[in-house]
Amino acid sequence: MNNVKKKKNPMTAFFEAIGRFIKEFGQAVKDGDSGVKASLLLMGAGYWKRGQKLKGVLVTLLEIAVILYNVFIGFPYIGKLGHLGTVQQEMIYNPTTMKNEVNNYDNSLLCLLFGVISLVFLIVAVALWMVNIRTTYKLQKRAEAGKHINTFKEDCRELLNDKFHFTLLSLPVLGIIIFNVLPLIVMICVAFTNYDQNHMPPAKLFTWVGLANFKSLFTTSMTVTFGYTFRRILVWTLIWAVFATVTTYVGGILLSLLINSKLTRFKKMWRTLFVTSIAVPQFVTLLLIRNFFASNGIVNTFLAHAGITGFLKHLGWISTNYVPFLTNPTWAKVTIIMINIWVGVPYLMLIATGVLMNIPEELKESARIDGANKFQIFKSITMPYMLFITGPYLVTQFTANINNFNVIYLLTQDVYTTTNQKLAASQGKEIDLLVTWLYRLTSEQYNYKMAAVIGICVFIVCAIITLFAFNFLIKGDKEDTFK
Amino acid sequence: MSKKKVMSTIAVHVLLAVLAFIWILPIIWLAVTSFSGYDGMNTSRFFPETWSLKNYTRILFHPDTVAQFPAWFKNTLIIAIFTCIISSCFVLMVSYAMSCMRFKGRKAMMNIAVMLQLFPGFLSMIAIYFILKSINLTNSHVGMIFVYSGAAGLGYLVAKGFFDTIPTSLREAAYLEGASEARTFFTIVLPLSKPIVVYTVISSFLVPWTDFVFAKIILNSGISSDWTVAIGLYNMLKKQLLPSYFSRFCAGGMLVAIPIGILFIIMQKFYVEGITGGSVKG
Amino acid sequence: MKKKIVSVLLCMAMITTATVGCGKKESNDSAAGGETIKLKVWAAEEDQDLTKELISKFEEENKDQKFDITVGVESESTAKDTILVDPEAAADVFAFASDQITDLVNANVLQEVQDKDTVTNGNVEGSVEAATVDGTLYAYPFAADNGYFLYYDKNVVSDEDAKSWDSILADCEAAGKKAGMVFASGWYAAGFFYGAGFTTELNDDGSTTMDWNKTSSTGIKGTDVAQGMIDIAQNPAFLPITDGDSTNQIATGSLGAVVSGTWDSTAVQEAFGDGYAATVLPTFTCGGQQIQQGSAAGYKMMGVNANSKQVGWAMELAKYLTNEESQKTRFEKREIGPSNIKVSESDEVKNNIALAAVTAQNDKAGVVQMVGSNYWDPAKSFGEIMAQGNPDNEDLQSLLDNLVEAASQASN
Repeated sequence: MNNVKKKKNPMTAFFEAIGRFIKEFGQAVKDGDSGVKASLLLMGAGYWKRGQKLKGVLVTLLEIAVILYNVFIGFPYIGKLGHLGTVQQEMIYNPTTMKNEVNNYDNSLLCLLFGVISLVFLIVAVALWMVNIRTTYKLQKRAEAGKHINTFKEDCRELLNDKFHFTLLSLPVLGIIIFNVLPLIVMICVAFTNYDQNHMPPAKLFTWVGLANFKSLFTTSMTVTFGYTFRRILVWTLIWAVFATVTTYVGGILLSLLINSKLTRFKKMWRTLFVTSIAVPQFVTLLLIRNFFASNGIVNTFLAHAGITGFLKHLGWISTNYVPFLTNPTWAKVTIIMINIWVGVPYLMLIATGVLMNIPEELKESARIDGANKFQIFKSITMPYMLFITGPYLVTQFTANINNFNVIYLLTQDVYTTTNQKLAASQGKEIDLLVTWLYRLTSEQYNYKMAAVIGICVFIVCAIITLFAFNFLIKGDKEDTFK
Repeated sequence: MSKKKVMSTIAVHVLLAVLAFIWILPIIWLAVTSFSGYDGMNTSRFFPETWSLKNYTRILFHPDTVAQFPAWFKNTLIIAIFTCIISSCFVLMVSYAMSCMRFKGRKAMMNIAVMLQLFPGFLSMIAIYFILKSINLTNSHVGMIFVYSGAAGLGYLVAKGFFDTIPTSLREAAYLEGASEARTFFTIVLPLSKPIVVYTVISSFLVPWTDFVFAKIILNSGISSDWTVAIGLYNMLKKQLLPSYFSRFCAGGMLVAIPIGILFIIMQKFYVEGITGGSVKG
Repeated sequence: MKKKIVSVLLCMAMITTATVGCGKKESNDSAAGGETIKLKVWAAEEDQDLTKELISKFEEENKDQKFDITVGVESESTAKDTILVDPEAAADVFAFASDQITDLVNANVLQEVQDKDTVTNGNVEGSVEAATVDGTLYAYPFAADNGYFLYYDKNVVSDEDAKSWDSILADCEAAGKKAGMVFASGWYAAGFFYGAGFTTELNDDGSTTMDWNKTSSTGIKGTDVAQGMIDIAQNPAFLPITDGDSTNQIATGSLGAVVSGTWDSTAVQEAFGDGYAATVLPTFTCGGQQIQQGSAAGYKMMGVNANSKQVGWAMELAKYLTNEESQKTRFEKREIGPSNIKVSESDEVKNNIALAAVTAQNDKAGVVQMVGSNYWDPAKSFGEIMAQGNPDNEDLQSLLDNLVEAASQASN
């Protein structure tokens, strides 16, 4: 019961909020006095009427700036959003000036980018305009009720007090909008265009193609293998995420238990040794390890001398004269998971140590007095407590592993060649995650549209998992079992 | 009883030693190869045949078009310092607002933040590149600083978790004495949060040192003295350069690893302190 | 009310963006440059000093004009990748390998060469052909040695035996060494098929037409060529090399013969010592006959960015960097095989073993490879299957069918 309500809540709450907002706006316009109605045109009017002169001036200046921007820049770009540019680039060389004369061409990507920015800006501007009306109406109500109307100074002071969160959040949120939300919206739009190597600005134009890209993701033939590749890579991504998360989690806990055990001396030294391995940047260590396991690398030389390679060949596990740690699909998958344990366990060990040290000693003491031995304590107190505290962390780790670019890319980029022709036809490899495939599609094939489609799919997968996991976690509320 | 205990103690320590050895092995290889007298990658031996300091001297004092370590170090340091300042401010501001203040839309914003982080980061690479290009900031270190710190506010979870453990009674006492929210933030909450502040500062400082994907896209002039350490070292391992630069790569890796390592260990100490000491429960 | 503050900031950000963005566009149209001509040049890491030297000579010869020329680092094989991300931010003059030319032309990155005659008359026909797309000349060739051939150690493989793969492999096995070649690459693997008379053709929509799964014009079946490759790969004396790893493998000293290009000549000289020798590629057994192994002849050329602000001067600079004098200097300093006719006919060039081999191979069986972007990955994976000796025993005809079908996808 509770869960269903929770799931629906954000969506319905959102729409309800919008409905309420528009209703308030309507009421303000209807019941507002001359000041409010004048604010429909001249945003500062409402404030002047109430004596907040400075604020009125500021707001009016803002209004003028916004209108100017929209007229000169915003509207033209928004207009182009429909077709994403119609004029293709043409150049003619002029020998007298020794320069190329370029026509006034449209750059589809910039059209999309600035069109989206302007559209968002326009929506925000309209919303602010409506908020302004509502605020002036509220001011009017306060004046009628005889309440105090803030001076400018008092408004500013409120910014440091009740409304401090606005001051705090404004710059970071602006940064997030410019560098995260806007690019994201643009790239989601790209998934519905045909932006690829054949349609690259500034030379060529691209345009909307609707759901065509998604269709090609789900069809399979020899020539259009995206569907096939997508399915296989998705499956491996999920398998990898499960293995990577579980192995590092278990490994980290075991390691921290080992170090934390009462028998261990020099706890700090051991911990530091393990942490050193993550202190060196990943791209250094992973590239080193890649060369470590190369087909004629140190590990292979060692194994060959020790006769193990011959033994494995005898068993039929390998068909070459070296162990193909990173070049054979199955071997590579196992090797990568193993190496990821090396990468991830120290982090988990730190976190597990922190949690372990926090378990109230009284619980353990009372259990010991009751006669429980070490294993029982571990099973019924330590593990459940650990799972409870690190549950959310596990979920974020899982989604982070789905997007774990570094480990896969650095270990296999230049050394792994796929022998599956269908995968090769869409530039995929058996050990690819969705993100590495996405990166290769953008950086080597300029196939931005398919990359955007894959990015959206990754998001959907992660969102489903997160929603599912969090609901599951909230359902099983283990806090009661502690009391 | 004592004998069993001695046996267990030895077993535990042996196990730890073996594990630690496995974990440190690549680092050891990195260190010894950085002192190797041979330029390329030695695939048949673990320890180099000849030992020499020339990798370090060459990488530090004789930069060529491929290896410009001093310039890279300087670039990355500048970018890291500014990123660290801006990022930490953003993170702490957002964490405090989300944790200690209640306002309409707080839960909605937190949900949106979770959703935004589910998208893969590389997707927006090309869009960010063109946004930067439109304000003329590609190929510049200022642009890099923006890229690394612009959306830093999304990483507020850890700091928020810490702020959550600060008892509201402390803040309420401050309000009673007439302090504004801003005053409370600066004079009461922040000083109590030293561990988490240090953790935030250091982790945001470390970001530019390890990223090579975004840096490569934005610093695309080809002038190698503009690069960061991550691009430069990654470049050294390109197929045609590896045989002549591998041991210098190792030297560079060591030089980068030492400051990062020290910072990381400090950060870990503060992180554990923050997680454990932060629970001011009774 | 307080949301106004947020909106003020947002607005200011937008306005700044707009004005700066607008301003930039205006300054582009006005006569930028004026007195000082600013140019950016990209050259490979190994060529940095040489390029700087040539540029200062260029500045000397054009004393009445002020220049500000910077040289950046960009390997010729990856030039296209960096440029296509943002052509407007790329260098004005850059060096690239000939197989990238169609993609660059499609993206309107290459400026049409205005002074055609100098380039056409001065350089060998193959290089000019490689620099021409649809009848228009788009680049200035400067190197004709971007192909591959056979290096061998005279102490291991005799001159006579170096003529066929079977004898090379036998000699290497006897001496306890190996013969190496890159199979997993659409550039190297194609050599076998070109030699047997097969072709690749680039179409307008970016797809590649290949006839490798049928019978060639000389009557050889594609499956026979594939089987020939597998036979070589399964020989215990054969070492399949990963693309780009050849220098490493040569340095280990375990090779008696290797298929590579002039970029490895130093490494090979060191490894083989006094036994250093190079010649055209050997023949391989195919359907019972000995077929000469072909190769993908490659050239290196300089291109002028059509988006450059100083296109005219960029073309002058590119022309200078690739003229006879410069190519001669290039050969003297870096042993780069020139594409200039006069320089390539000089004695020093003819006496250079590696250059002589690549020229001979290009003349004998070199094909200018024109393929679309969807050719490379399927060809690479096909080559890898061959290199592993077809471990899953798949049907050769279907392997070839899959390869041809995948490469025939239109560029998307």
